[in-house]
Amino acid sequence: MTLFLLKRILQAIPVILIVTTVTFFLVRAAPGGPFDTERTVSEEVLNNLQSFYKLDQPVHIQYQDYLKNLFQGDLGPSFRYPNRTVNEIIADGLPVTFELGLYAIIFAVILGVVAGIIASLRPNTLQDHLPMSLTMIGICLPSFLLGPLLVLAFGIQLEWLPVSGWGYSPGDKILPVVTLGSAYAAYIARLSRAGMLEVLGQDFILTARAKGLPQWRIVTVHALRGGLLPVVSFLGPATAGLLAGSFVVETIFQIPGLGRFYVQAAFNRDYTMILGTTILFAGLIITLNLLSDFVTAWLDPKQGFVKK
Amino acid sequence: MIRTYKSTLSGDTWVQLKKNKAAMLGLIILILMIVIAVFTPWLTPYSYETQNLALGASPPSMAHWMGTDVLGRDLMTRIMYGSRVSLMVGFVATIVALCIGVLWGALAGYLGGRADMIMMRIVDILYALPFTIFIILLMVIFGRSMLLMFAAIGAVEWLTMARIVRAQVQSIKQQAFIEAARTIGLSDLEIIRRHVIPNTLGPVIIYTTLTIPNVILLESFLSFLGLGIQPPNSSWGLLISYGVETMEEYPWLLIFPGITLSLALFSLNFLGDGLRDAMDPRISKN
Repeated sequence: MTLFLLKRILQAIPVILIVTTVTFFLVRAAPGGPFDTERTVSEEVLNNLQSFYKLDQPVHIQYQDYLKNLFQGDLGPSFRYPNRTVNEIIADGLPVTFELGLYAIIFAVILGVVAGIIASLRPNTLQDHLPMSLTMIGICLPSFLLGPLLVLAFGIQLEWLPVSGWGYSPGDKILPVVTLGSAYAAYIARLSRAGMLEVLGQDFILTARAKGLPQWRIVTVHALRGGLLPVVSFLGPATAGLLAGSFVVETIFQIPGLGRFYVQAAFNRDYTMILGTTILFAGLIITLNLLSDFVTAWLDPKQGFVKK
Repeated sequence: MIRTYKSTLSGDTWVQLKKNKAAMLGLIILILMIVIAVFTPWLTPYSYETQNLALGASPPSMAHWMGTDVLGRDLMTRIMYGSRVSLMVGFVATIVALCIGVLWGALAGYLGGRADMIMMRIVDILYALPFTIFIILLMVIFGRSMLLMFAAIGAVEWLTMARIVRAQVQSIKQQAFIEAARTIGLSDLEIIRRHVIPNTLGPVIIYTTLTIPNVILLESFLSFLGLGIQPPNSSWGLLISYGVETMEEYPWLLIFPGITLSLALFSLNFLGDGLRDAMDPRISKN
């Protein structure tokens, strides 16, 4: 187990390094600097700016500096807002995005697993077809469509829920979380249905039934662990999609999270901000993938990490 | 001459697929959409950019079946022209992904050993990258060209294809007819082209059908954020993002493009699921 852990962590390091390097040089290769927009500034100011951001030095020195600072957790000053550092902006936005993502995942897992189990108990009946048809809707209604439709229905027509903000008025977190989570709820429902069906068909479940165990005990104690394996392995990669989804959801609902900052930084050509957030996102995704690998291994009886 | 009954893969699949109502419906809708997209200029009396400011935004009527937008442009025409862009991105980017993925996977699987390990490790590393972010980055840095979008989306979607093809190739490689081909002196590339790739077609077709909706979704997502297709061109995502801006006053501007996009995604997903069930009974649901 420790060896497996160590190996996976060691594999993650070059990936982060590649992301950093590629992003760094991509950003430097961009035509047009961040300062040649809108107003023209005087030579002097430009030079000052250049030296403030160390843009007057050779690229490899800049790269070395950046890596050195990155290693100490310093992502440098923002190009767009010179008096703020990227770290500060991230510190402002990350908790919001994290909260949004966490709620969305919780919503998706609860809804998805329950729907999946219900469907798997009576396959190919109405009890199966109804939730599974609903998942198709979840998959085919992307967040940038579902969000506005929910706003239109519950915010504008029915006036039940606020249509924007995050923690400003009661209930304003509901629509963003539902918007972000539904597609994942749909995937999770399909995965848990398939997983449960496979486990429920196995011999040890038959044994449990023969012993006369009640249905709920068979499902919760015996089948759930194996049946949810695919869901757990899905959660790691899902967070990557969740981050991308947060761009849209935070834009629609005007939530001051990292996703919205990232899209704004992309429009403003705030290169240090783009660079910093990309590295952060990559790190997050890799960490979560690792985590889901470990949990999968831990849940999987074949890998034998758990003592009998 | 002796006649033998030949059960072809494509024939069997077709028989199976025809039984699946959802998949057939998807196929029909999809074909309709493609036909409409191709013949758009001849099907609509309106132009997609001629403005009629006096008319402004008007709800659906006999003259304009889906209403008009804020600038008085016929919405249905805009959606039809948008379909051309969205569907084209969907198909072209998928073809890019298909070519890279199949070649890469086939080579890795066929060569095996060290080459296989290195090639698949590269795929693993790329898998871990936050690609949506990278596409946004590329679009920002190098301008929002459609060509770049094809390449960028294609570059993301080939990874899974490579894995699928590699697994398939590894199992085919063990079979006797490959040995036979080698015995008669065919080169590696020739064997891959003539014997290996044709035998991986089943899973590749299934996965391709399921990739197209993903690509369309990605394009719409980028266009929605303002990073994809640029006006005066239109695409489903762009129309939806315009619709969102004015949905309070003119909800039809959001609803019709939304229905179109969902319909396309539904059709492709049902067709993909149906193909999977029809082609490979082993991995079908129950």
